Formats: sequence, structure tokens, C-alpha cells
Amino acid sequence: MFEKWVADFANWLAATDWSVGMHESFYLWNWLESTHVLSLMISLGMLAVIDLRMLGLWMTDVPASKVAARMGTPMFIGFSIMVITGILVFTAIPVRYTHSIWFRIKFILLFVAAINAFLFNRHMHRSVATWDTDKVPPRRTRIGAGLSLVLWVGIVVCGRFIAYDWYDCGKFTNAALLWATGCAYVPAN
Amino acid sequence: MTVLSVFESLEQGPIGTFVKDRGATFASIEAVHLLAFALLGGAVLASDLRLLNVVLRDVPSKTVTDNAYRWFTGALIVMLLTGFFMVSGIAVKCYHNFYFWVKMSALATGILFAYTIRKPLLSGDHSKLKPITLKLVALASISLWFIVAASGRWIGFS
Repeated sequence: MFEKWVADFANWLAATDWSVGMHESFYLWNWLESTHVLSLMISLGMLAVIDLRMLGLWMTDVPASKVAARMGTPMFIGFSIMVITGILVFTAIPVRYTHSIWFRIKFILLFVAAINAFLFNRHMHRSVATWDTDKVPPRRTRIGAGLSLVLWVGIVVCGRFIAYDWYDCGKFTNAALLWATGCAYVPAN
Repeated sequence: MTVLSVFESLEQGPIGTFVKDRGATFASIEAVHLLAFALLGGAVLASDLRLLNVVLRDVPSKTVTDNAYRWFTGALIVMLLTGFFMVSGIAVKCYHNFYFWVKMSALATGILFAYTIRKPLLSGDHSKLKPITLKLVALASISLWFIVAASGRWIGFS
């Protein structure tokens, strides 16, 4: 049911003028994908500054809440650019992406990273007053920050691997992978 | 010995063969290169945007730049190592690629600028420097690393 819905949505999107235009444009996709990758410098770069402060490894002489608050805005701008360009990049090649194992893992990791960010923020706002100026924050804070970095490493690696066609539909016969990619719902080519 | 022959022997040598032998090797090295690039971006942007008075305005700029150099250098070393391995796998393609040479020129300029101008200048008291000097240093740094990153991405498209 889920796979049918995903396949129907991807096929519908792929048939729109919007998707065909982006897919067939000589430069547009390259520009969108480059912007998506380059904005990593802002989004993940700023996130790294915050998480490394929470791990007690960067700017330890600056209060943790100050680093989080000041770097949060540029990080959010970077993530917004990534989300917008990411959606557009997806729109250009929806059928292939929805059946990519790396895209699917990336999506799950993004979801887990969002939950982790929510829980981390809630924990920080509740307890930061007690450890704001500590060079090394408490263990729970460090676990949240470390998990955030590990998740984002996974997201970047999966994002990069999407470009490779190792597990494109029709290139493998493994039953578990056919299930995980939903390739059983598209004709093998 | 020509430059091209150096690139050819690099690609045909043990490192080039190792990188090319399996597609996943190149892709994995590329992913590490990308992660180090994000970290380098964080170090460059945190300190340069501070010098431009855009972020962390209530933190002394010297605190931000001093803290960032260690991570900048670490990320740069990882990028240079992974970059060398990546080039080894596609050396001849790189030799004939215009954007590869743009990237190498910007990279050499960026490294020289970072360690011979920016670092010595910012290692002293920032209040003794003119605000315009700090801003120009930040703009030059952001521009150089942006060119390195953008031309690097474009190598794959051309």
C-alpha cells in the first residue's frame, strides 16, 4: 500500500511540466544540486560549531547557550536553503530517488535527527542555566550533541551515495533490498 | 617529464588503482571530503561572519577566530588527503578539466592567504586593526573558500 502510494506520487510528479523542465534543463539541475551541497557549509558547518561546543571541544570559553543562540539563525538559513533546493532536486528525478536505498535511509536519518534536535532543545532550555558556562557540559548534553553529529554524518554520506547507481532498480535481485527500495513496484530495466 | 605524464602515472600507480578499483572506494573518500568541507565551512563562516559583525557580536572576535583555527587546520588536512586520493583515481580527467585548475589555483591562494596573511594579522589585538581591514580579510577569505568549493563541485559536472 505504502509502496503503491509512493510509486503513484513519484510517477505523477515525474509527468508534470515542472519536473520534466528541470530534468531536461542543461544547467538548472546542476545549479540546484550545487547550491544544495554548498549550503552544507552554512547548515552543517554552523551545526558542527554548536554540537562541538556542547561536546566541550570548541569555544569552551563562551557560554553554551550563547553559541547555540547566535549560530542558530545562520544554521536555520542554511537548512532552509538545503530543504528548498533538496525538494527541487527531488522534483527533477522523483521516480529514481524514491526507489534509492540511500535516499530512503537519508530520509529516516533526517527524521531521527529532527526528533533528536527537538529533544535536545527541550533538554537545553530546561537545564542550561546549571551548566551554561561549564567547559564540558553534562553527559546527557554531550550524548545528544554527539548523536546529532553522527546522524548528520550518515545523512551526508547517504546523500552523496544517492548519485551512484549501484542499487538502482533492475541492478540487483536481493529480496530484502527489493522490499526496502520498493523496486518490486517498478518494471526492471 | 610533463605535467600530464605525472597525472598519468598517478592514475596508473598503486593509489590511483586502489581508488578506481571499486566504485565504493571513490564514493566513500568523496563523502569524507564532503564532511570535512562542511567542518571547514563552519570554521571559515563562524570566524569570518564574526569579523563582519554578522554573528556572535557579543563575543570578542579574537576568541572566535582563535578557536576556529584548530578546526580549520584539521578539516583542511582531511580535505587535502582525501582530495589527493580522489584526484589519483581520475587524474587524467582532472588534468583536462578547466574547473580542476580553477580549484587548485583558488586552493593554493586560500592556503597562502589563511596562513601568511589572515592568521598573523588576526593573532594580535583585533582592536588595533582598522574595522575595514577585518572586514576585507573576512570577505577575501569567504570568497576564496567559496570559489574552492564551487569549482570543486563543478569538476563533477564537466
